[in-house]
Amino acid sequence: MAVLTIDNISKSYGTIQALNGISFDVPEGSVFGVLGPNGSGKTTLLGILLDVLQPRGGTFRWFNGMPHNEARRQVGSLLETPNFYHYLSAVKNLQITAAIKQHGANDIDRVLEVVRLSGRKHSKFSTYSLGMKQRLAIANALLGNPRVLLLDEPTNGLDPEGIAEIRELIIQLNQQGITIIMASHLLDEVEKVCTHVAVLKKGDLLLSGDVKEAFRNEDLLEAGAEDIQQLYAVLGQLPGIKGIHIAGNVVRMSVKDQSAVADINRFCFEHGIVLNHLSLKKKSLESKFMELTRNN
Amino acid sequence: MNQLIKVEWFKIRGFVTFWILTGLFAVLLPLFNYQFSSGMMQTGGAVPISYSFPGVWSNFGFWASWFALFIAFVVIILVTNEYRYRTNRQNIIDGWTRMQAFHAKCLLVLLLSLITTIYVGTWCIIFGAAYSNTGFAFFTQDMEKLLYFFILCLNYYGFAMMLSFLLRRSGLSIGIFMLYAFIFENIAKAYLNWQIKGALIGNFLPLQASDELLPFPLMKQAEAIAYKGAAMPESSSYVIASVIYISLYYIISRYRLLKSDW
Repeated sequence: MAVLTIDNISKSYGTIQALNGISFDVPEGSVFGVLGPNGSGKTTLLGILLDVLQPRGGTFRWFNGMPHNEARRQVGSLLETPNFYHYLSAVKNLQITAAIKQHGANDIDRVLEVVRLSGRKHSKFSTYSLGMKQRLAIANALLGNPRVLLLDEPTNGLDPEGIAEIRELIIQLNQQGITIIMASHLLDEVEKVCTHVAVLKKGDLLLSGDVKEAFRNEDLLEAGAEDIQQLYAVLGQLPGIKGIHIAGNVVRMSVKDQSAVADINRFCFEHGIVLNHLSLKKKSLESKFMELTRNN
Repeated sequence: MNQLIKVEWFKIRGFVTFWILTGLFAVLLPLFNYQFSSGMMQTGGAVPISYSFPGVWSNFGFWASWFALFIAFVVIILVTNEYRYRTNRQNIIDGWTRMQAFHAKCLLVLLLSLITTIYVGTWCIIFGAAYSNTGFAFFTQDMEKLLYFFILCLNYYGFAMMLSFLLRRSGLSIGIFMLYAFIFENIAKAYLNWQIKGALIGNFLPLQASDELLPFPLMKQAEAIAYKGAAMPESSSYVIASVIYISLYYIISRYRLLKSDW
């Protein structure tokens, strides 16, 4: 079952097309990563899903069509920057959130403990460091045990220890059955926790779905020979090879599986080329992502 | 509705600026009137300033209408705070509808108008009781001025709220409010009344329509002389005009909030 269904959402700012007919589903129980370079439309999309931005077209449905504001009370959200009343303490800020959500007032001490702000819970928000503000924003999202967490760059401003804590927290909450939607440009983070992804670039949805499906195990192959130009020309004729290019004194390409290595070796030999270098490398999510967002 | 008021109360409770400004309003309003009532400020009898019933209603009401500007600025600060801290977004994200966020501020305007009116009414009774030789014999006479004051508050605060929603910045909103209220509307009023003879259209400008309900004590007579021949509009027509403007502030703010991004 999908907790969120997005159907053909578009948004423009003047002549700039921020989102271009985005559609995908977020399955219940998933950790769903919304990826994309800066300015790709991630935050705009989340803003629309939270009703702070108006889409130019398209619709979305939370929990099979629950009224949006009721749904938002069951979604813990962190959008862009932590937004709190600077003159109020953490506790008083969370009291406002609990009053709006109409539940969670007795959950305040617990969530502040989870993000390790208990010691400073009566200090004004304006006295907090960047990391503390971010942690309060996460506490705010956790208030009242939401069904879904929607987090926009949740590790912004946190130190490495804080980042690891948040990652652990996300995994732990997901194991409890909470669906997590997370926008990020930190691919390393996403790779560690996400089960599903949607990749955006300049407002277009490049792909979405299961992480393993979306980034199907493509490997990077490097080959070298005396005459690099000739090697490049020959390999270009071989079917099943993608993204072939010359990088220094080697030719790089993407292959589907390891059996391609033998094919390439044979194919080159048949065409009178003797390879002096052939190596297979696992691609990181980052290099796959870079390739994906650069080529389109 | 209780939930909206509760949330707004949580926001105000710890907001020191609010308590300082309203505290100054509360203290200075009776002090300011006391300078006239005590005879400290000599008016030479030229201005009939009365603090006994029934004159106290119109007289205290007139000075209080200036003090209401203080509270209008407080309204601007409270509304623009939401943009300053981007909590207008957070309130929506956490589960309010846009209409709820908007109506929370409308309720704030309504409650502040009510509280200001009750506060002013209380001081009117205290001054009236202290300075009336006839006791409470004329207590109820002219008491409708208190209702006029309530309408004036709704008009000022509603206008302040609308400006804040349109401009989103406190300094700019307060600046525009002052330039409009003190300068632009006075010029426009004078020009309209000068150009369009016999109708006093200028008296029906947004804030002026309510000001006319609580004029400076001698103003009515002075205007009758100045605009000789023109029929002086009834108070009821100013009440109707004020209510129309207050409704317009609501409609314009609502349209703006529902249409735009937050």
